[in-house]
Amino acid sequence: MIGEISHLLSLSAVLLLSLVLIFNLFFSFNQSHSNQLILSMRLFNQACWLVFISFGIYIYLAISDDFSIAYIANHSNSQLPIFYKVTSIWSAHEGSMFLWIVFLIAWSFLFINALDKNHPLKKPTLLMLSLIILGFLLFLLITSNPFERILPFGAIEGADINPVLQDPALAIHPPMLYLGYVGFVISFSFITAYLFHGDFKLDWEQDIKNWSLVAWIFLTIGIALGSWWAYYELGWGGYWFWDPVENVALMPWLAATAFMHSLFASSKSDVLKTWTMFLGILIFALSLFGAFIVRSGIIDSVHSFANDPERGLYLLSFSGSITLLALSVFAYRLPSLKSSKLVVSGSKESFLSMNNILMITSIFSIFLGVTYPLIIESINGDKVSIGPPYYNTIFAPLILIAAVFIMISVDALWQRSMSLRSLFITMAIPTFLSFVSIYLIWAFASVFSLLAYIGIFSGLLIIFSYINRIINNFFNKKYINKGSAVAHLGLGLLFFAVSMNSIFSYEKNLNLAPGQSISVNESVQEFYFKDIRVFSASNHDVISAEVSLLHDGKEISLNPQKRKYATRGQITSESAIHASFLKDTYLTIGDQLENSSWTFSLKINYFIKWIWFSAALMVLGIFLTIFKKKAS
Amino acid sequence: MGDYFYALNSTSNSKKIMKKQLFMAFFLVLSSAAFTQIVYEFENSAQEKRFYLLISEIRCPKCTSGSIASSDAPISRDLKNKVYELILDGSTDKEIKQYVSERFGAFSDYRPSLSGSNYILWFGPFIFLALILAIFFIRRRV
Amino acid sequence: MNQSLRILIILLPIFILVFFTKILLVDEDLKLSSFEAKNFPAFELDDLNGRSVQSESLNGIKLLNVWASWCITCLVEHPFLTKLSKNNVEIIGLNYKDSKSKANSWLEKHGNPYLFSIYDPRGDLAFDLGVTGAPETYLLIDSKVVGHIQGEMNQQKWETIFMPLIQQATQKK
Repeated sequence: MIGEISHLLSLSAVLLLSLVLIFNLFFSFNQSHSNQLILSMRLFNQACWLVFISFGIYIYLAISDDFSIAYIANHSNSQLPIFYKVTSIWSAHEGSMFLWIVFLIAWSFLFINALDKNHPLKKPTLLMLSLIILGFLLFLLITSNPFERILPFGAIEGADINPVLQDPALAIHPPMLYLGYVGFVISFSFITAYLFHGDFKLDWEQDIKNWSLVAWIFLTIGIALGSWWAYYELGWGGYWFWDPVENVALMPWLAATAFMHSLFASSKSDVLKTWTMFLGILIFALSLFGAFIVRSGIIDSVHSFANDPERGLYLLSFSGSITLLALSVFAYRLPSLKSSKLVVSGSKESFLSMNNILMITSIFSIFLGVTYPLIIESINGDKVSIGPPYYNTIFAPLILIAAVFIMISVDALWQRSMSLRSLFITMAIPTFLSFVSIYLIWAFASVFSLLAYIGIFSGLLIIFSYINRIINNFFNKKYINKGSAVAHLGLGLLFFAVSMNSIFSYEKNLNLAPGQSISVNESVQEFYFKDIRVFSASNHDVISAEVSLLHDGKEISLNPQKRKYATRGQITSESAIHASFLKDTYLTIGDQLENSSWTFSLKINYFIKWIWFSAALMVLGIFLTIFKKKAS
Repeated sequence: MGDYFYALNSTSNSKKIMKKQLFMAFFLVLSSAAFTQIVYEFENSAQEKRFYLLISEIRCPKCTSGSIASSDAPISRDLKNKVYELILDGSTDKEIKQYVSERFGAFSDYRPSLSGSNYILWFGPFIFLALILAIFFIRRRV
Repeated sequence: MNQSLRILIILLPIFILVFFTKILLVDEDLKLSSFEAKNFPAFELDDLNGRSVQSESLNGIKLLNVWASWCITCLVEHPFLTKLSKNNVEIIGLNYKDSKSKANSWLEKHGNPYLFSIYDPRGDLAFDLGVTGAPETYLLIDSKVVGHIQGEMNQQKWETIFMPLIQQATQKK
């Protein structure tokens, strides 16, 4: 009964949104424009509230174990803690789509109501948002209905969710990611509305700047959480796998980064507007593409929801139509968008343009990596595998060079060539320090990997040039853009940490019986396999190895485990990690051999904490930018 | 293998012991590898590095995605052992990948070969870059 | 220039749309029929009764089924294999990483649909064939491997994957 109410509320929202569109597109009553807008806003807001309440009821249904609803029966269980009953809602396709839509509506609701009622773009933006929301609500209710019942009696108990999913980081990761993805519907709709409206004297950048920054924060956090979870859970010590689903989250993030940089430029001066508009549309288009890829079932990924082509076709045609609509308006207005000024080479605009060009190319390389296997398989059935070798060769150099352009652009001038002299002054010391560091690192590491060293160099260059700039500006009492500095320091640190990790990290596979001990190398002086125990915990049985290590003089105790969960009989492997400042000692237990010894996989991962810290820095930097006091 | 665990839900002591043994036995592998303490011991560190790099570039034939380095599957273990043997035997990286591809298919290699349509894959981004640069330099107004 | 740029901006998404529609609707059979035929790897192994296996015994049209006594899913496909063998389909077993005694008891207990089973305790032949686990089934035609099914054999896979290949081969003769 309650489920039906929730269902009905969502259906009513569909009706109201349809009314909004029909009124504005087909009928023009003999009412003033402002009255029609007021009516439309009322209908829209009511529709939003209906869905919010509908979702709220759905959460109640999940908490109260209503197993007559198929989705809740399939993904939740009465024994789950309340927190995980709620998070089970977004553990599979229908529920996570519902959440996606709720966030889409939340962003739209907040933005459209915050827009001044006399803002000329309010109505076109409202229509665009209504159209997008309506399309997704219909998708949900027609092809992926979370309200479907198990008839006639419902299930007595739910299936347990995958124990792997009962993890706080993994539970929060989708909402963060979705908040990021759908947040860019604002820039998408507003820019399309602006282009449609055609008044190019309007200032549009300020209206969406902070909204986009917030969405960017969520997207960054979402990606970082996923990466962090994968690191400690999957037992391999890797944090990025170039899995198609990871890639489709990375592409909007890259577009958003390029967009933000372009937006700052175009809001200050009359340049790069065309780029900014295109990028603003591209971000959400890539989010839509991501939703399609993940939910249509055409991709082989451990992440993807198992789905049928019908859903894929709907998503494809709907996303495609929306994107085509926006891009058509963009293409139509393109001639009018030309700036009156020519881009001067060596100017700030030129560096930012180069950055945009390189970032778009890097997005394209990921896009190609994701779609190429699909293309080839559909043409002649061949299977191609694309992974780190491809992305490290193609994507990494592009992004590193793009970052260098951003760095140079900070001290460049608007519409004037940067003199070689000033370039030299800003970059000389950082470049010198970077080379010296590279030399020292090489001497210490005695490993050579061109890509890694370029990464280290690029990262250090960014870090040193920002420190240089901060010190300089501080002593000359010049303005320091804190948000930008912190975020870019984070970026430089990311490049540095990822590259150092790839050079210094190593793995050892060991084979020991309980009670045995071995000296692995100079760094891992002792590896002592004390004991192996079997015991029971709340809903699983555990095999736990007690290992004591002497690593670089420090004694570390690790307990890697194998677990068997009662409900589904699922076996998982829990790695034991000791995270210190410079490195992580990462131990996973493997199989037992006939002579009762066990295999262990010992990974020493360097600079892992620095990677997480760099993500935090970037988020902090964006945060500071949002709350930057306007320069008087 | 799930059949082994029918006994696991009972509570008497001897059954508990049997249950523990069965749980442990689940992870038992019949192995023909010598029981050395350092598995994958090499003659020099260059070989070791080659090994760990290779296994990160060979795809697990049984998994949805991922390399044999990141996989626990029995076939991944077999493949790792084979790569190890081949390195000690003196095979080159290319020969090893060839060996694996002959048996498990061309998609075992995460580094697509530079041949045929794969040119689009490897050079596509650069052609794209050239195109965008051309558009930009011709327009010069942003 | 401007005009062509505008057209490009519109055409590109349309192109991508059409492409993905095609991918979504791609014929499933196309994916499965792209198996490259290869020669059966050389081997020197005995069967489960201790007799050495001759390569001639692989001639003709035969199925090679990878199985083991420890493999649960093999039990699931077993009835179907038995049905096939009763319908004059010749099946050779490849006993994978198993012990002779356990394998023979398993056959005694559940029935033996195989002409004989190659005993591959270390999985060497299986490795050369590209076996990724049990159960798997290969289609052999004149000692060439022309088809491969991962996972359990069933009516649907038999009809959609192997039968077309068999028909093709018998027509050629």
